[in-house]
Amino acid sequence: MPQVKIIAKNFMDMVASLPAMKLDKLYANAFICEAILRSLPPLAKKYVLQMLFIEGPVSATSMQEWVLADGVSKHQVAIDRLIQLRLFTETADRKRETTYRLNPVLQANLQKLLTCGEVLPREPMPPNVTARLPSLEDLEAFALEKWECFLLQLINSSQAEKPTNISSSMMKIFQRGLLSQREKEAPRLTESGFQFLLMDTNAQLWYIIREYISNSEERGVDPADLISFLLELSFHVTGEAYNMNTLTDVQSNTIKDLSDLGLVKLQQGRKESWFIPTKLATNLSVSLADSSSRKQGFVVVETNFRMYAYSTSKLHCEILRLFSRIEYQLPNLIVGAITKESLYTAFENGITAEQIISFIQQNAHPRVAERIPSVPENVTDQIRLWESDLNRIEMTPAHHYDEFPSKEVFEAACDFAREWNGLLWEDSKKKRLVVKAEIHMHMRDFLRGQK
Amino acid sequence: MGHGHGDKGRPSKKHKSSAKEEQRITMVDDEDAYLGNEADDDFRDGEEGKKRDFSKLELKPDHANRPLWACADGRIFLETFSPLYKQAYDFLIAIAEPVCRPESMHEYNLTPHSLYAAVSVGLETETIIAVLNKLSKTKLPKEMIDFIHGSTANYGKVKLVLKKNRYFVESPFPEVLKRLLKDEIISKSRIISEGSNGNDGFTVSKALGETGNGHGDLLNEAELVAAAEEKETHSFEIDPSQVENVKQRCLPNALNYPMLEEYDFRNDTVNPDLDMELKPQAQPRPYQEKSLSKMFGNGRARSGIIVLPCGAGKSLVGVSAASRIRKSCLCLATNAVSVDQWAFQFKLWSTIRDEQICRFTSDSKERFRGSAGVVVTTYNMVAFGGKRSEESEKIIEEIRNREWGLLLMDEVHVVPAHMFRKVISITKSHCKLGLTATLVREDERITDLNFLIGPKLYEANWLDLVKGGFIANVQCAEVWCPMTKEFFAEYLKKENSKKKQALYVMNPNKFRACEFLIRFHEQQRGDKIIVFADNLFALTEYAMKLRKPMIYGATSHVERTKILEAFKTSRDVNTIFLSKVGDNSIDIPEANVIIQISSHAGSRRQEAQRLGRILRAKGKLQDRMAGGKEEYNAFFYSLVSTDTQEMYYSTKRQQFLIDQGYSFKVITSLPPPDSGADLSYHRLEDQLALLSKVLSAGDDAVGLEQLEEDADDIALHKARRSMGSMSAMSGANGMVYMEYSTGRKLAGQGQLKSKPKDPAKRHYLFKRRYG
Repeated sequence: MPQVKIIAKNFMDMVASLPAMKLDKLYANAFICEAILRSLPPLAKKYVLQMLFIEGPVSATSMQEWVLADGVSKHQVAIDRLIQLRLFTETADRKRETTYRLNPVLQANLQKLLTCGEVLPREPMPPNVTARLPSLEDLEAFALEKWECFLLQLINSSQAEKPTNISSSMMKIFQRGLLSQREKEAPRLTESGFQFLLMDTNAQLWYIIREYISNSEERGVDPADLISFLLELSFHVTGEAYNMNTLTDVQSNTIKDLSDLGLVKLQQGRKESWFIPTKLATNLSVSLADSSSRKQGFVVVETNFRMYAYSTSKLHCEILRLFSRIEYQLPNLIVGAITKESLYTAFENGITAEQIISFIQQNAHPRVAERIPSVPENVTDQIRLWESDLNRIEMTPAHHYDEFPSKEVFEAACDFAREWNGLLWEDSKKKRLVVKAEIHMHMRDFLRGQK
Repeated sequence: MGHGHGDKGRPSKKHKSSAKEEQRITMVDDEDAYLGNEADDDFRDGEEGKKRDFSKLELKPDHANRPLWACADGRIFLETFSPLYKQAYDFLIAIAEPVCRPESMHEYNLTPHSLYAAVSVGLETETIIAVLNKLSKTKLPKEMIDFIHGSTANYGKVKLVLKKNRYFVESPFPEVLKRLLKDEIISKSRIISEGSNGNDGFTVSKALGETGNGHGDLLNEAELVAAAEEKETHSFEIDPSQVENVKQRCLPNALNYPMLEEYDFRNDTVNPDLDMELKPQAQPRPYQEKSLSKMFGNGRARSGIIVLPCGAGKSLVGVSAASRIRKSCLCLATNAVSVDQWAFQFKLWSTIRDEQICRFTSDSKERFRGSAGVVVTTYNMVAFGGKRSEESEKIIEEIRNREWGLLLMDEVHVVPAHMFRKVISITKSHCKLGLTATLVREDERITDLNFLIGPKLYEANWLDLVKGGFIANVQCAEVWCPMTKEFFAEYLKKENSKKKQALYVMNPNKFRACEFLIRFHEQQRGDKIIVFADNLFALTEYAMKLRKPMIYGATSHVERTKILEAFKTSRDVNTIFLSKVGDNSIDIPEANVIIQISSHAGSRRQEAQRLGRILRAKGKLQDRMAGGKEEYNAFFYSLVSTDTQEMYYSTKRQQFLIDQGYSFKVITSLPPPDSGADLSYHRLEDQLALLSKVLSAGDDAVGLEQLEEDADDIALHKARRSMGSMSAMSGANGMVYMEYSTGRKLAGQGQLKSKPKDPAKRHYLFKRRYG
């Protein structure tokens, strides 16, 4: 099973990791081209536009002249990114000089976009068909609720009040890497699972969507199709209704899953049915750095290790429960205490002190956020100390040897173990020694040879 | 629990001569070390989230403007940043027990006792519910409303008033009086007076309504009018000789109408007035004023307890109360040194003349002249049951016979209940005022205090006082001293189980940390330092090695005074070593650094009391106020040897202070790694010499023998005896106030340990009580 390393990547990182063939196929879709362009770092964006109507390759040296001396590093980043996304193809000309050329499919699409203007992926349905659409606020609340519900189910299936329709096999896919499942034990959050919960919604969404895409082949869906559909979706207008019958079979299956994640809301009219994209969907193509949707903090930690979280969210409660003892749940407040025991449980689950501290710091309630430090120093110190207290003992699997026939054999054995860098302890008086487990076999062979 | 202390509290037979009365400090004050931690665990760990899920409570639409949440189980959360905080705080402190009061969020518990206190300062059931409802973000849970109704139904309905030396049972509710009179004992005690009116033969009079409660702005006008209205009270007179019996009948275990005692001192024409008043320069601070207003809220003097942190000026409150009542005052302190200090405080703040005030201790037996005056003495002097010298017998006789206007009791938390019973039964007083810094008696004796003295009238918030610059802003630190290899090896050996304490206290790393801190504060900052050690062996070793003066139980009064004087005035004496005798009431205003090298198990109170030694604010007020020049002007270091029992106790001990909003910073490397070569025990052979000294000292030397003469013996003796049983010694656990049930629950356990098998050996006071 692939071990997923969680980094707050965006959609484009995933696009970039697709094989060349798939990428080229993706660029046939005009929306993807636009999305890609939007996602680029400013300098890279400029290069693409600059080269939009240049049909031939441009040499690397001449491109370097476009930037001032102090912009070299940015230039390099931009070029790397463009090559990575196969927007630029790198070739060597006859003089063995590196040249870059814009991807022709993308180039054509962007040119068309510039000259003909933007076309919507599909037309919204007329309001007389879709009588009452939810307001934007309602829609956002819907999306958040769905997403939270999904997360809750993800980390603790028993806690979710309204289980989503996501199949359990799909859920398992999402959970891998986040939860560790031992036999006969309730699944536990892994270190990356906890890190996942600490990320903001967009980053979490990326992670799930990526899992969803990378698993698509097993479901018989072409990842490139899926990516292009998702990107296309992000070009729809939030809150407008779009007819379901404009979707392919694969797409309409996908949209059902997406509605469980809160990306779209499905509604059924008398004759027709439609989907309404939420903010979660339209934000998909926005790169993470742009998302200024910094959530407001809600946690107050006091010097007496008590924690007050202004939240109505069950998910928050579950997250806090990972490293604290929840004592009271009030309509809009969760009261808990950070205790040695609760932290030890967290440490055992692979959550680190730093993660916990950064979680409570990043989510500090505005009331205490301006205070320096936002979390009392004695609390952060103590959390670190408790962690380091646990790490004072290092376990090394080892083997113990005694009853050596002679001092010579004993000393030879010690020297041998030292050579292998595996001698942990020796007692020359009683002729005993302890060696690391990994050299046990060698040691045994060595001792046999001594006889 | 009460059983056990009967025999421990009894003076030991070895001290018979009256000259040594002083030494027999029978204050068994480590009750918290025995407090059951189980109960606390129940509370804090108990089925989490099940009973405490109050998320279904209905939020009011304007909840953001209201400052608190109230839970069905009595817990209340208060936002300190709310614009209504000040009003809400004053209100909550009157009706609930504070659990913890850090910066942003306070927690309180509604308990029967806190409500009793609320009722007794004149708050009525409906007012409590109405104001609480106003402040609450949610609708009040029904359980809470029922609880308030249930708890206040009986409390505060009946008052015992001493008017012109006649005792009256007074109540605004005639039906309550009728119910009381159905009791045989009470009806027998009644004196039917002739001038009584009203159809039940009750005397009807008007009493002044409550004033200056400060909750007015929270009530609407209609309610205000109701509160200000004069109330009709009904009363009947009882036989003075039966007062104690009537009071007994009214206690919760009988009729359950506990009586409030009020003293109508302005109309007392029988007892002579004492000519004293506050000097003009004695300006009570706002919180002192507030606590006094709770006491004198309706023009009479209420009995009760006022809780102020050490150094916040408890004595001024006491002296002010005495100057308001202006009758003879009996002031009780815990030891001779604090007797001197109280006498000094009286002369400092009031216009009392020298001949009107006298001290009564084993060393000084003065008597005041004139018809009224102030006597300052110790609990022991009054409660002492053995043979006294002729002279003191005479004085005690005078104390017994006098009708005191005010019984002023200092440090009520250290005095065991039976001592109170004795003192109160010996002395006749109209009004009792208890003063303390830490009302953390965790056994059921908090109940005793409630009914023996009266309810808690006021409790100040430490953090607010720090912010106001009234008490010092203390930097607390816990210094982790790793055990040296050799000491730790011995510590782990079974045969050294009795020396464990000596080993972790004498840990060379701890000694070095202590020496480092003393040097740093003496030389770099010019501070005055107190070092506390409970273990006498360690105290002596440390003090000798570092060449510093020390005071412990056996140090004579004269020598103590001399050392303290030198510490106050001399520039050469900047550090003193104190044993447990220094915990309470020795006033050392000069000190601003405390280093604690050994302490008594998990006693939260001791920790708070010791911190109190340096709380008296120093320097200019504006520097101390929040945002002033000096962030910290006092330092409290607790030195603990890592990986030993001490670590465990340390956490427990700090709980009270942490709940008051203090934080302990952990310091892990002292002395800093690059220095310390010039400190003692730098070389291994010195450390080993010290180790062999500890090991060869014999169990007696590190424990009992030496303590035989020490006033602290009881506590140390106990600490030593219960070693090995962590749960028994654990003491201070998170729970601060909800202890009455826990004490009872654990009584069985406590009995196994300390209850004398032979009931005849039980202390007679307890015999009487438990029959």
